[in-house]
Amino acid sequence: MEGLGLNVPQLIAQLVSFLVLFGLLYFFAYKPILRMFDERSQRIKESVEQAEMVKEEAAAAEEENRKKLEAAAREGQEAIARAMRAGDEARQRAQQEAQVEAAGLVEKARQEIQRERDEVVSEIRQEFADLAVAAAEKVIEKSLDKEAHRELIEKVLEESTTLDKDNR
Amino acid sequence: MSRKGCLGCSFPVLIVIIVVVLAVGIVSFLSGALGKAMVGDVGLPDVFTVDSPHVQLPAEEIFHIGGFAVTNTLIASWITIIVLVALAWAVTHRIKLIPTRLQNLLEFAIEWLLNLCTDVAGEKNGRRFFPIITTIFLFVIMNSWLSLIPGFGSITYTVAEHGQTHVLPLLRGANTDINFTLALSIVSFVFVLYFGISQSRLLFFKQFFNATRFNQGVGQLVRGKAKSGFGSLFFGGIDLFVSFLEFISFCIRLVSFAFRLFGNMLGGEILILMMLFLMPFLLAIPFYGLELLVGAIQALIFGGLTLVFATMAVTLHEHEEAH
Repeated sequence: MEGLGLNVPQLIAQLVSFLVLFGLLYFFAYKPILRMFDERSQRIKESVEQAEMVKEEAAAAEEENRKKLEAAAREGQEAIARAMRAGDEARQRAQQEAQVEAAGLVEKARQEIQRERDEVVSEIRQEFADLAVAAAEKVIEKSLDKEAHRELIEKVLEESTTLDKDNR
Repeated sequence: MSRKGCLGCSFPVLIVIIVVVLAVGIVSFLSGALGKAMVGDVGLPDVFTVDSPHVQLPAEEIFHIGGFAVTNTLIASWITIIVLVALAWAVTHRIKLIPTRLQNLLEFAIEWLLNLCTDVAGEKNGRRFFPIITTIFLFVIMNSWLSLIPGFGSITYTVAEHGQTHVLPLLRGANTDINFTLALSIVSFVFVLYFGISQSRLLFFKQFFNATRFNQGVGQLVRGKAKSGFGSLFFGGIDLFVSFLEFISFCIRLVSFAFRLFGNMLGGEILILMMLFLMPFLLAIPFYGLELLVGAIQALIFGGLTLVFATMAVTLHEHEEAH
């Protein structure tokens, strides 16, 4: 053993230097580096989870957007249908009004015609009576009591059917 | 595409390289012991000659502090400590989540060793063993690689002692000192012992003194069952012998660890010295490469064996339950 140079103080010195290295490396290398490893893997795990979450959120948002779009489209369709219905109604109403108005106009025209006809008929009647009176005067050359005559004629006319006032 | 040249060099460069190598080869051959023996001394300048190697097993004492002798191997091991701690501090005083190059280098080594530990010993024990195993590995590999740096052994220190002057190398690889390797193997031994006892408790001692079956046999004899009693005694005796062998091999590890590292590293050193003596410059280069490898392998063996023995000591009860 002497030939190998083995001696206790040297052995202890080397032991101490090993322990010193161990302690220094423990605090300057292993602890911080292992902590770093753990932190890094933690970080990576978190990032992956976060990415997963973001992906899910994006999918959810997309779904929501799709639903909103669908709803909007549906609403639009409904609005269009409503508008069309309203248009139809308006048209129908206009048509009806026009019909009613046209009917009114026709009625008015008919009334006018009737009135004018009545007027003409009464005029003709007047004239005819006068003529008849005149003709009768001429025939008999004698003037009848004008008033009585007239009444007579009226009576005749009243009985005639051809020039009836209410003949329709 | 015709490209002039060979081995990635243009011809003139290649020729220059060949000439230089040849010149170095001739000079190294002539100045070395080999050439001197074959050709004789051709009168080369003293600069080229290499002294005949002086192999000394004990580390040389450089100076004394009180009664304590500081040897060159101790200084070398301190230098290794300084280098390792400086490297660690350079990285970890500003450790970043996104590593720099140097941090990457250290992290690569640490992670590799951590994975080695957790692969062998499992996640929980691997983390517990890791600091010691890594320190052993780094210490051994750094010792051997630092001592391969050119000039490491050439720095000398002159000591005047008893009227004589000794020229001593100031630095010598700590692995070539039996005190260092023995200290390391004591650490390894105590490490295994500590974890073995703390994890396996009595089972740890039982593997060294397994008298269960022997006692059974005695009991059976007392109760008068001669046949099974003698059988148990016989196998109990074998158990005792095997556990005794186990104990011897456990204790032998203390020595075998120390001498394996010591022998390999000292052998490598002597090999390089011899090659330098026989044929300086050229012949030693391949052996430098070899020694790089040997240093790494010895570090791995020392750390790895410690790891394996510690794992075995810790998992004793699992084996026991499996039986």
